[in-house]
Amino acid sequence: MKLAADRWLGVFLIGLAAFVAVQALRLEVPFSYDPVGPKAFPLGLAILLAALSLVLVFKPGANGHWPDRALAVKLLAVLGVLLVYALLFTRLGFVATSLLAIVALARIFAASWGKALLTGVLMAMGSYFLFTHGLGISLPNGYWLEGLI
Amino acid sequence: MFDFLIQGFGVALSPLNLGLAFLGALLGTLFGALPGIGPINGIAILMPLAYTLGLPAESALILLAGIYTGSEYGGRMSSILLNVPGDAGAVMTTLDGHPLAKKGLAGPALGLSAVSSFVGATIAILGLTLFAPLLAEVAVMFGPAEFFALMVFAFASMSVMMGKDPTKTAIGAVLGVLIGTVGIDSGTGVLRYTFGMPELYDGIDFVVMIIGLFAISEILLMLEHANRKDSDGDIPPLGRVFISLKEVLYCKGAMLRSGLIGFIIGVLPGTGASVAGAVSYTTEKRLSDKEGTFGTGDMRGLAAPEAANNAAAAGSFVPMLTLGIPGSGTTAVLLGALMLYNITPGPMMFSERPEVAGGLIASLYIGNLVLLALNLPLAGVFARVLTIPRWVLVPGIAILAFVGVYQLHSDLTAIYLMLIIGVFGYLLRKLGFSLAPVILGYVLGGLMEQNLRRALSISGGDVEILWRSGISLGLWIAAAALLVLPWLLPKLLSKLQPSGKPLEQVEDD
Repeated sequence: MKLAADRWLGVFLIGLAAFVAVQALRLEVPFSYDPVGPKAFPLGLAILLAALSLVLVFKPGANGHWPDRALAVKLLAVLGVLLVYALLFTRLGFVATSLLAIVALARIFAASWGKALLTGVLMAMGSYFLFTHGLGISLPNGYWLEGLI
Repeated sequence: MFDFLIQGFGVALSPLNLGLAFLGALLGTLFGALPGIGPINGIAILMPLAYTLGLPAESALILLAGIYTGSEYGGRMSSILLNVPGDAGAVMTTLDGHPLAKKGLAGPALGLSAVSSFVGATIAILGLTLFAPLLAEVAVMFGPAEFFALMVFAFASMSVMMGKDPTKTAIGAVLGVLIGTVGIDSGTGVLRYTFGMPELYDGIDFVVMIIGLFAISEILLMLEHANRKDSDGDIPPLGRVFISLKEVLYCKGAMLRSGLIGFIIGVLPGTGASVAGAVSYTTEKRLSDKEGTFGTGDMRGLAAPEAANNAAAAGSFVPMLTLGIPGSGTTAVLLGALMLYNITPGPMMFSERPEVAGGLIASLYIGNLVLLALNLPLAGVFARVLTIPRWVLVPGIAILAFVGVYQLHSDLTAIYLMLIIGVFGYLLRKLGFSLAPVILGYVLGGLMEQNLRRALSISGGDVEILWRSGISLGLWIAAAALLVLPWLLPKLLSKLQPSGKPLEQVEDD
């Protein structure tokens, strides 16, 4: 497959430029003394973006190294962990979710279970005290846990 | 005319600000030395926490500038000891730095890097002190039309000089500007690209943007090196850390010349440490490499890029402080940080907020001394940081990123947005984009549109105002020349001397 990633990117960006332009044209502008208005600048950018993307389509650069299957799985795993971290952040509270996220991330980055758990406990507790007591940031305590107690 | 500097030292020498300059230098060096974290990532990760301290603008800027210059120092550790450049600016440092370390001269190499960084930065800070007020006086005459032309020039110069592929640099900048248009349009109150989400009405938050773009994408990128053995065990022994006066004097020519080159390159908008390092290394190689020792561990080959990239880092403050145009991705981040304090850097800053402009410049002098004092005796300690395994580093970055974004509004939407921007940044990097133009576009885009619209309001819609004055016409011509010359020159030269080598090949050998 020799269709360079840059070609796909170029086509995608032209689509993006069209989207930006259409959205800009649909803006309804109330009367104002501003002769340019909010449309012109995004429209100009869309035209510029489309022109530059055409260059990319016709003169694509070298294809970079793309992740293989194993790496792609790990990438999705990291993203999954971060997403779950975000989802549970306010529900389970900072300490519990951070502990889970740290252990999971450390495992993905090839730490043994023992090291991962130790890092998780130390880092979750340590950062909690640093942030709340040292920097005065208020962190979520977790309303699910508060309900239980 | 140096009143601002006297006032600045008054600000910078207060106990709080001295402490912050010291803290910034220390944190910056530590973060810069972390494997894979360059200056821009370091600032991106630490900036939100700096805000929680509730510091006044000048103190926050002093802390951030300390982190910036500190991480430039720290970034050299992995170049010299592991042959892994922490960021683009440190690539040239590996050429002679790592061979030196292999010869058993790792300690002296680190020491020399600290001394030449100090010399380069000092030259550039002196230059900044001299030229910034002068440039600010000229820039006071700039109206909106001139500023618009200046930004076009900055983007043109960035496209040509930054990154490998001018097309991609330009696309990155346009994408950054587009991201900056999200939110309520300040001129008319119209909502743009908010898709009905109230969280987007204020635009995409600067902190969310830089944390996503730099910290999250960095985590994803680190996966590729997760199993690479670049972080444990194989650090060469440091040996003596102090460098002899003889060795410093041997390199003095290289340091002074490269400091000057670095400053000039740093001042040009869009060209930063990486270009400065490359130009100074090739210049020095041509001037003084008589025995062909460059690349095999010649001390001058280490001193030259080190002096130059630190000089460029300080030099890029000149356009940022006087014109409000950042000279590099990192100064773009600092510029954004200032805007969060409702300070728009520009020609008026030296007269209206002298405590900020002067305090920053004075703190650069102090920070530079602190860094030299820290780095010579503590090089061994900082080198330990390199051995931190990624399974500790990555969770640490993740926590700092989450807390940094969460504490903004105690709101989860910002965290989701950060993750989306992180994936976007990762894809861009995999596609061969550099992220500095994106962040420059994001920071400058809003100002660019404002100036364009202000100019056209003045003229009642007549576009001729954009090139009516001599200054703006000159900037347009300079921008056009920058875009056309790299493409035209080789063609002209090859016509003049058909057998001559094309320019690029001369650069390489």
